[in-house]
Amino acid sequence: MRNAHWLVAVLLVGSGCFGMMDSEGGGDISKKTAMKGRHVDPGDVSVPKGYRIEVVTTGLTFPTGVAFGDGGEVYVVESGYSEPGKLIRPRLVEIDRNGGGVRRVIATGEKGPWNGVAYSDGSFYLSENGGPHGGRIVRIDRDGSQTVLVDRLPSMGDHHTDGPVVGADGFVYFGQGTATNSGVVGEDAVQLGWLREHPDTRDIPCADVVLKGTNFKSKNPLTEDPDDEAITGAYSQFGVATNPGQVMQGQVPCSGAVMRVPKAGGNVELVAWGFRNPYGLAFAPDGQLYVADNGYDVRGSRPVFGSADWLWRVERGAWYGWPDFAEGRPLTMDFYSESGGDPKGFLLAKHPGTPPSPVALFPVHSSADGLDFSRSRQFGYVGDAFVALFGDMAPQVGKVMAPVGFMVQRVNTRTGVIEDFARNRGDEKGPASDRGDGGLERPIAVRFDPTGTQLYVVDFGVMRLTSHGPDSQPETGVLWRIVRNGGGR
Amino acid sequence: MSRPLAVLVWVVGAIALIAPLFYGCGAERRGQPEAPAITADNPKEVKGQRLFHRWCYQCHPGGEAGLGPAINDRPLPHIAIRTQIRKGVGAMPAFGEDLLSDSDVSAILAYLDEMKHSPAHSD
Repeated sequence: MRNAHWLVAVLLVGSGCFGMMDSEGGGDISKKTAMKGRHVDPGDVSVPKGYRIEVVTTGLTFPTGVAFGDGGEVYVVESGYSEPGKLIRPRLVEIDRNGGGVRRVIATGEKGPWNGVAYSDGSFYLSENGGPHGGRIVRIDRDGSQTVLVDRLPSMGDHHTDGPVVGADGFVYFGQGTATNSGVVGEDAVQLGWLREHPDTRDIPCADVVLKGTNFKSKNPLTEDPDDEAITGAYSQFGVATNPGQVMQGQVPCSGAVMRVPKAGGNVELVAWGFRNPYGLAFAPDGQLYVADNGYDVRGSRPVFGSADWLWRVERGAWYGWPDFAEGRPLTMDFYSESGGDPKGFLLAKHPGTPPSPVALFPVHSSADGLDFSRSRQFGYVGDAFVALFGDMAPQVGKVMAPVGFMVQRVNTRTGVIEDFARNRGDEKGPASDRGDGGLERPIAVRFDPTGTQLYVVDFGVMRLTSHGPDSQPETGVLWRIVRNGGGR
Repeated sequence: MSRPLAVLVWVVGAIALIAPLFYGCGAERRGQPEAPAITADNPKEVKGQRLFHRWCYQCHPGGEAGLGPAINDRPLPHIAIRTQIRKGVGAMPAFGEDLLSDSDVSAILAYLDEMKHSPAHSD
């Protein structure tokens, strides 16, 4: 045993200290020069043998979703927003699938961001997040008219209402992200741009929860005094402490949940909760609903180290673990603190259930976002999930030793084994703007066309991380398409 | 300690001492998707592949660097990797027998070997 300890000591010396290393994320602009504009070259993207990737259109501004009409028409939603202070009108546009660019504008909005888009029976469904009363699910008909199906969703915090998907049961399913990283409003809410504007924002549980009463001290950026401090508890607005045994009343709509509403509008129903940011939703060929969920960051009053992103199989009424579990494991494990020995205590005195294990665990900080399932033998990999990894936002979310994400991955949902499906060529990882070539930048959504033979990839475009936060470049978004050269699998 | 055992300990220790010096040497082996996927073609490697994706992949995606360093190009002997897994190193947590049995660790090591030798990881 002593020998083993000696080995560890040697390895520790040899491997250096993570805490002393600089972050090497793909979007970190601090050490690099940003590329203006965007050059696109499918030859810089690697896909499996027998497949090819091609460009459908370029010059999109912050696109977040793609959908297809009854005749295979291609529609893209441009969110109109990427970070605080950068507001552009969101748009739903039809794209010429043969490379002719934007054919027409279906609708524009005033309250971006618009996240994702789904099409069903002649109408489009998307989420809208810029209004004064929270997120919305909006139906847009072909004539451009807009109908609000749900309003006042709790999207004023860290995460928005996410893009919807329409089920065969006639419901519009959508994810709602949490207001905070891990249940406590902290100083990071100022850096993310919402605390001063919405100081009463907090996480809302979907059912009553009983708190342990743990409180967190932070600086108080809401006062002029630089030494002022605030004490904040779980599920509470900034500066409000909690007590042991305190009950936080649940309600729907709520934070960190998948919910649904009838296509014609009506009451919002809870599907499942305990997610963090359930960004991407899709139904598998067998009708099972899956969600891609963004894991915790190393920021704020309750930073969590080493949390993956997840693919979950969504079971009605289940609780998936936020804010006390990651990937089905309790945050009290020393996995989740950088130095070990500093486990995060639970926030809840009693948990609403036992969180399940995820179907798959994506790389830490990779931002697993949009997903879809192959349904075509001609394309291959029937039943596998294809997931867009937006790529790390280090150092804002935590440090990494190399760029993470910036690709499309394929997941075998039976085994949890993940393979890269489309990623930039060569030894250097990261987005094209970091590598100085024409490959993928930040994939945010994927969707198969109605034939199932073409996988469209929505690439958000250039987003770099500065010392002041994200800096995105308009008109750098790209719609890619991956097709198989021939034959069934 | 018997003399043969002492020699063994010193040899292993020397390897462990030198091996970290190779961190960063040589190209990180990549999983470019145009090459065949890593093939786990016996039950032990299949088990190792699933365990790797459950416990290791999130920090070492495809064996490459991410939150943690690349592990698909390291000339570390099994005993050193096993020790790293059991005891943790740097920011990497320890994986006790309550999480991974000895058989599980052996399966992961077999999969790591396959990863290093897979055509998908030969540039």
